[in-house]
Amino acid sequence: MVGLFAYYPALSAFFHSAFEWNPGSGSTFVGADNYRQMLQDAVWWHSFRNLGVIFVFNLVTWIFPLLAAELLITLKSRRWQFAMRTLLIVPMAFPGVVTALIWGFFYDPNTGVFNQVLAAIGLESLQQNWTGSPNSALISLLLVGFPFIGGLPFLVFYSGLNNIPREIFEAAALDGLGRWGRLWRVDLPLIAGQLRVLLFLVVVGTFQYGFVAYVLTQGGPDNATVVPLLWTISQAFTAANWGYAAALSAVLFTVTLAFSAVIALHRRRETGMADGGRM
Amino acid sequence: MSRLRSNQAGIKAVLLLLVLGGLAPYLFMIITSGKTNQQFERSFWAPDLPFHLENYATAWNQIRPYLLNSVQVAVISIVITAVIASVSGFVLSRYRFPGRRLLYGLVLVLMAVPGITNLIPLFVMMRDFNLLNTYVVLVIPYATGGIVLGTILMRNFIDAIPQSIYDAARVDGAGAIRMYTHVTLPLSFPALGSISLITLTTVWNDFFWPLLVISDDRMRTVSVGLQYFQGQNAISYGPLMAGYLLASVPLVVVFVLLSKYFLAGVQGGLAGSQ
Repeated sequence: MVGLFAYYPALSAFFHSAFEWNPGSGSTFVGADNYRQMLQDAVWWHSFRNLGVIFVFNLVTWIFPLLAAELLITLKSRRWQFAMRTLLIVPMAFPGVVTALIWGFFYDPNTGVFNQVLAAIGLESLQQNWTGSPNSALISLLLVGFPFIGGLPFLVFYSGLNNIPREIFEAAALDGLGRWGRLWRVDLPLIAGQLRVLLFLVVVGTFQYGFVAYVLTQGGPDNATVVPLLWTISQAFTAANWGYAAALSAVLFTVTLAFSAVIALHRRRETGMADGGRM
Repeated sequence: MSRLRSNQAGIKAVLLLLVLGGLAPYLFMIITSGKTNQQFERSFWAPDLPFHLENYATAWNQIRPYLLNSVQVAVISIVITAVIASVSGFVLSRYRFPGRRLLYGLVLVLMAVPGITNLIPLFVMMRDFNLLNTYVVLVIPYATGGIVLGTILMRNFIDAIPQSIYDAARVDGAGAIRMYTHVTLPLSFPALGSISLITLTTVWNDFFWPLLVISDDRMRTVSVGLQYFQGQNAISYGPLMAGYLLASVPLVVVFVLLSKYFLAGVQGGLAGSQ
């Protein structure tokens, strides 16, 4: 009886994931046609290019949470530290859809905040249809959530840096290491383990990106902001190409899993070396 | 010494700026939620009196069904997740039986399975089961995902409870069930709290699953319902923002009251996926 409860979660979830290759009832066998079609699908390839941009941008924005975490641990007053930490992560408490919709409101070409600001400082020429023009749509999506602090990276940086013993910082200061030098030679190496976990999560998370894009642009205009997830969904639900959508989602699934596996293995090897090389 | 103090002041200033940047959209939402359209056009930025509370009543009438649906789905998912995860965590942690390691390994592997890429196959399966537009179809993925993560968290947590407590309970004549209800459950309250919060935020935030499986407006949950709400109120800004705020209130309240568990949950999820 006890075994039943223990086995159930594993089995039920495996049951769900095993349906990866089943494109639906009453379908005819088409062999690898769906995959051949995928290789020639320009939108599909474009969607991965967008993912690449999103991923790189995500990494660059780590600067903000890292800065915030560094400043936070430098604060002397415990009370300030706590208050600031709490305020910085409050945006995490708001539902994602609310954040996305408010930003969508900001981007509105007529009443949106961005165009209003540009008008107020006399730069009407820079006004644009932020999410509606292919040139600015992707960058508009990426800026949602600025300054990107209320999120997992900040929590990881902050708890990582907080766990470094103060004596190490004092020793670094005695050795004449400046703030900048300390960041590169002390802080970052000491939280390298957490950074790798975070990188892994960002990679997996990037493949699942699509929610903000759906709310703000639906992958448009003209597929400028399409990502694999959105393309898969639109193939299934708009174009009713269930078999093709199943093939796409199987590929997305495999690619994500492969990336996870590569990073997990790489991490294991590196931590093994670090252990061997320690004093 | 004075240089040190000015340094600290500078750091506070930068941090305040970052806080303001992060909170600006939400402050804008609160300010706008009390305005009529005329007020909004007259003073775009600044708060403007009188504060129109009736915007909230208008918004509440429209989004109440979505909120109630989300609450119900969240409660059902949390109960299922908490019960199954705590029992399986207890068993995996405290009982020795053949295949225990393998079983735990299988659960760990499931953590790596990207849930969202299962959307299409899972949808087809639910359609074949005729479960679309029901609470059942909404609960299934949240409960499954919650159980996987929950089992891992619970096992790790129960592992840390000293065996001597269980030995003492056994000496006092407690059986397996009593050890679960009277020892494990009370002691693992923090872990259960984290699991419940993770499930709550997942249900509240999930978008694509309810979007795909629910077409009946009466069954919609908050995340998808808000999009329709936005479509209906696109040009009455006050009620629109009031609605966004009302939809955020449950999560924000929980966050403020239980931020310790909330953060433990987020980071526990991190630990579990290593």
